[in-house]
Amino acid sequence: MGVLASVLGVFDITLDKLSDGELWLAQFFRGLSDGATYASVALALVMIYKSTGFINFAQGSLALLGVYLAYIFSVEQGLPVAVAVVCAMVASSAVAMLVERVFIRPFPPDHVLPLVIVTLGLLLIIDSAVGIVWGFRTRSLPSMFPSGAPIEWGIAQLTWRTIGNLGTVFAVVGLLYLLLSRTKVGLAFRAVSSNLESARLVGIRVGPTLGFGWALAAAIGTLGGALVVPDLLLEPSIMLRVLIFSLAAAALGGLDSMVGAVIGGLVVGLARNLLVTFLDLSELALATAVAVILVVLLVRPTGLFGSTRVERV
Amino acid sequence: MRAMGVVAEGSRQHRRRQIIGWVLFALVVALVPFLIADTYSPTIFGNRYTFGLGNLSQAIAFMVAILGLNIATGYSGQLSLGHSFFVGSGAYLTAVLVNEFHWSYLATLGVVVPGLFVFGVLFGLPALRIQGLYLGLLTFAVAAVFPSIIRLDNVADRTGGSNGLLIDSDLEAPTWAPIEKITEWLHAIPGVGSRVPDGLTGRQEEAVYKYFLLVIMALVCFWLVRNILAGRVGRALVAIRDNPLGAAANGVNLATYKTLSLGISAAVGGVAGTMLAMHSGFVGPDEFGFSMAILLIVGLIVGGSGTLHGAVVGGLAIQFVPHWSSQTQTLPGTDVALEGPYGTAILGGLLIIIIFALPGGAAHGFRRLKGRLMPVAPQPPGG
Repeated sequence: MGVLASVLGVFDITLDKLSDGELWLAQFFRGLSDGATYASVALALVMIYKSTGFINFAQGSLALLGVYLAYIFSVEQGLPVAVAVVCAMVASSAVAMLVERVFIRPFPPDHVLPLVIVTLGLLLIIDSAVGIVWGFRTRSLPSMFPSGAPIEWGIAQLTWRTIGNLGTVFAVVGLLYLLLSRTKVGLAFRAVSSNLESARLVGIRVGPTLGFGWALAAAIGTLGGALVVPDLLLEPSIMLRVLIFSLAAAALGGLDSMVGAVIGGLVVGLARNLLVTFLDLSELALATAVAVILVVLLVRPTGLFGSTRVERV
Repeated sequence: MRAMGVVAEGSRQHRRRQIIGWVLFALVVALVPFLIADTYSPTIFGNRYTFGLGNLSQAIAFMVAILGLNIATGYSGQLSLGHSFFVGSGAYLTAVLVNEFHWSYLATLGVVVPGLFVFGVLFGLPALRIQGLYLGLLTFAVAAVFPSIIRLDNVADRTGGSNGLLIDSDLEAPTWAPIEKITEWLHAIPGVGSRVPDGLTGRQEEAVYKYFLLVIMALVCFWLVRNILAGRVGRALVAIRDNPLGAAANGVNLATYKTLSLGISAAVGGVAGTMLAMHSGFVGPDEFGFSMAILLIVGLIVGGSGTLHGAVVGGLAIQFVPHWSSQTQTLPGTDVALEGPYGTAILGGLLIIIIFALPGGAAHGFRRLKGRLMPVAPQPPGG
């Protein structure tokens, strides 16, 4: 009886919440905002996966480094936040190119497993380097967007920050599309992603092209981090959770689809906020990410928009 | 160094050499606890280090954890970045059973081993459809979730939530254990004996007893796993790792062996969890989070994936590299202060260097060195 009563009790609260339209809308907006940030880091993961066929577990760490640089540029050097973020994007791209040249390129590109292990090593190195240099004190990075909300409906607010986050992600996807479809380096990148060996044979310099992919991914990841951090507080372990949600987003979208990464990010952001609010399980936020990954991999391993990999035996 | 003479495999000299090796190993394992029961604190380049028996005991538990990971990842090639989940489950299962049902530590193994085996098999069933990188992705996320599960409100009053759980049972040496006597004998040996304290305090005696208990558990685990892997199962797993299609074509049932390997791997991981709980008498949620999962992978690769010796080296590495670096206050030989997680950075670097320079890990390196110094001629076939 006690169990039944408690289940009913939980159900009751949920029912109460479920009929609360404002709460729905509020969580919907928050979900979009979170989703946009996951989408950016997921885009970065997809960039690497598309071109090299492995998941860069150090993507979150590169973004972490970028966000710390943005903090230095904006709070300590006094640059406007948007300018600081752009500077940080450039700096983290440079670091990513260096990392790719030194740690990734020496390995044969068709053996994925050692490369994944190398990215795990990079994750350890970069995260602890950030801890060594900047310590574990929490800091706050101001947002790039003004505070306040142009549209309010009770507790549901569509803030400038949500609008800014969404706008940024769509702008990034648009620019990325133009870059990949209209420029020479974009064409080279697509050629390398599609077939590394053939790309090399037609004279594309594969190494620098992959380095370019890493730089681009790091810049996008840093931007994603700069969108996330104002909501939380900056400290060395912050990007780990973001990385896991972004992995779920990328898996949902299909690991090699950019549009998929954005939609996956938004869906994961929404799912996380709605589930956590209505099921009252704040501790299980991360578990939604695991559930998404598990269901996607079991039901449709190529994700929503991914292409099937055909293997010849 | 000059190589010793070549001996034939299985010859009397070869066997004698092996026996000498094992006897030396046993002597070191048996004598070390008495030498460092009193914490050993050398000063190297102006840094003072403290090194106790507890560190060694923890390393032994890590060795078993890596051994478990080795079965799934090293032998059957299923990339598991979430082995800490199994280790943590084992540790918490032990802690709850000891605290609430007043079982002895060793008795909890009766639940931990079969429980984790079933858990591993259940986990392995969906994993059958998920391969390679994707499995890594999933297990990576699973590892990060473990602390949240422990903190869930519904279970927090049993698991202690964020505060962790103090296990209220001491592992005191039983009265029949002749630890005190052995210490006295060793102390009486002229010369060397002066390094051994002439008596042990209660705490030290407990540490020595725990150490031997953990050593025995580890030896049993290694022995059982060696036997499993040396036969049909082991060959099937390696075949699956190296060429799944070829293995299937040769009659290996992929589904059975893959789930079996995850089951065994989880069970061994659970034992490692029990050992960690025995060692520290405390379990905390963040201990078994994502950082342990990565550390175990580091240990696996650094020691040597797919070798049993590798697990020993890996366990020592992931215990002592962070331990030593956290005690290194200044850059050796200078006054430059060192502060922060240098140990993790060093482990990350070690991981990359090993993948780059010695893909077989330290175990492979040792084997090559041994082959150079003490060559053994293989038995001619058909002889």
